[in-house]
Amino acid sequence: MAKKQTFNYNYIFLFYDIADEFSDIGKYRVAKVFKICKQYLKHHQKSIFRGNITPSDQIMLETKLKKVIDKDLDFISIIKVQNSGSFAEVVIGNDKKESESIFI
Amino acid sequence: MAKNHTRYIFSMGELKRKDNSIAFRNEKGNFYIPIQDTRELYCMNEVSFNTKFLDFISRAGITLHLFNYHGNYSGSFYPKEQLVSGDLTIKQSMCFIEQRLVIAKAIVEAIAANIYETLYHYFRHGKKELKQTLDWLKNDVKKFLCKDLTIEQILFIEGQIWSRFYDSFKYFLPKDFVMNKRVKRPPDNPINALVSFGNTLLYTKTISSIYETHLNQTISFLHSPREGRFSLSLDISEAFKPIVVFKTIFDLVGKKRLQVTKHFDKSLNYALLNEEGKKIFIDAFETRINETFMHKKLKRKTSFKNCIKLDGYKLIKYIVEGKDFKPFLLKEKV
Repeated sequence: MAKKQTFNYNYIFLFYDIADEFSDIGKYRVAKVFKICKQYLKHHQKSIFRGNITPSDQIMLETKLKKVIDKDLDFISIIKVQNSGSFAEVVIGNDKKESESIFI
Repeated sequence: MAKNHTRYIFSMGELKRKDNSIAFRNEKGNFYIPIQDTRELYCMNEVSFNTKFLDFISRAGITLHLFNYHGNYSGSFYPKEQLVSGDLTIKQSMCFIEQRLVIAKAIVEAIAANIYETLYHYFRHGKKELKQTLDWLKNDVKKFLCKDLTIEQILFIEGQIWSRFYDSFKYFLPKDFVMNKRVKRPPDNPINALVSFGNTLLYTKTISSIYETHLNQTISFLHSPREGRFSLSLDISEAFKPIVVFKTIFDLVGKKRLQVTKHFDKSLNYALLNEEGKKIFIDAFETRINETFMHKKLKRKTSFKNCIKLDGYKLIKYIVEGKDFKPFLLKEKV
């Protein structure tokens, strides 16, 4: 039996690869995935989102994504960490967007 | 953690609803704000939006605070009151008539205690001149408050506490930042500008917190409940001023992260923070208010921001059940 999870994940990184080159439908799927992700997370790079998220919102996000993607062609990977302090980050180059900043 | 629940908009642009989320558009392009992860939006510059957007954030429970060109608070847009309780409102007004003094005294006592804690740090680090003020705060204020007082007398004591506190700045702040006199509307020197700006931020945070309780924002106890303002948030924010606003100021000034020549508007006699100064201040303020510590009663980690809401709950407990009202005290961490 799987070990019971004793803590919650409150911060996630989400990467997606949507097969958009082969068909027009693929392009629609990219837009759909993007729209869903930006409700919950901050846009970090072209196909990368990240940000704080509650466990219940994570379930919502995953179910919504499962509905729109093509399971045979598309690929979404979510990395969960406990909080925004539990990883180290190195930035190289010009981080002009500063998605995590509280100022706009 | 919760630091990201707030966004400060410093550039000109347009806020709109897009794809069931929020988009902010300025000359640099679109910036997406996740709707699920936002609780408050601060507009510090010219921002336009329409009713469609307001309806949308209202449903998501986001509070929008607006500031004018000079950085003064001009108002908030907040969602339709969902937590309304006629019963509590009636009891709150009854409480105002019958027990206003008890609550006012409790608030003043908390101010004194929290200022004591703030100043004691400097006393312990060799600023022995503070001893007189500290003794006064610890012993005399308590003695005064034991007596039968009118509300004017309580307000006088409150005024005395603050003015002594401001007087003590000369012992530990650099010369540029010494305050001669507290001046508001408009503030006339750097430290006054910081105090005014910090208090405004705390005041808006408190409005958002009280919104999450059933309390009526207009019935206050220490300040007189006049029309046109949410005076309860002035009351509740009072105990947090020394530990959130002033600690932030002392920290920034002491570490020279804010400097008179660099971060203040020179054309106005350095009496207004410039944009960079505002950003530094807000950043430190947000860090401070979201700082967590072990809450003695809850037995888990809590932020100062959450404690503001807890103070609201304590007030409800007092109004409805007659349980002792004691605002947040830094020393006891409850």
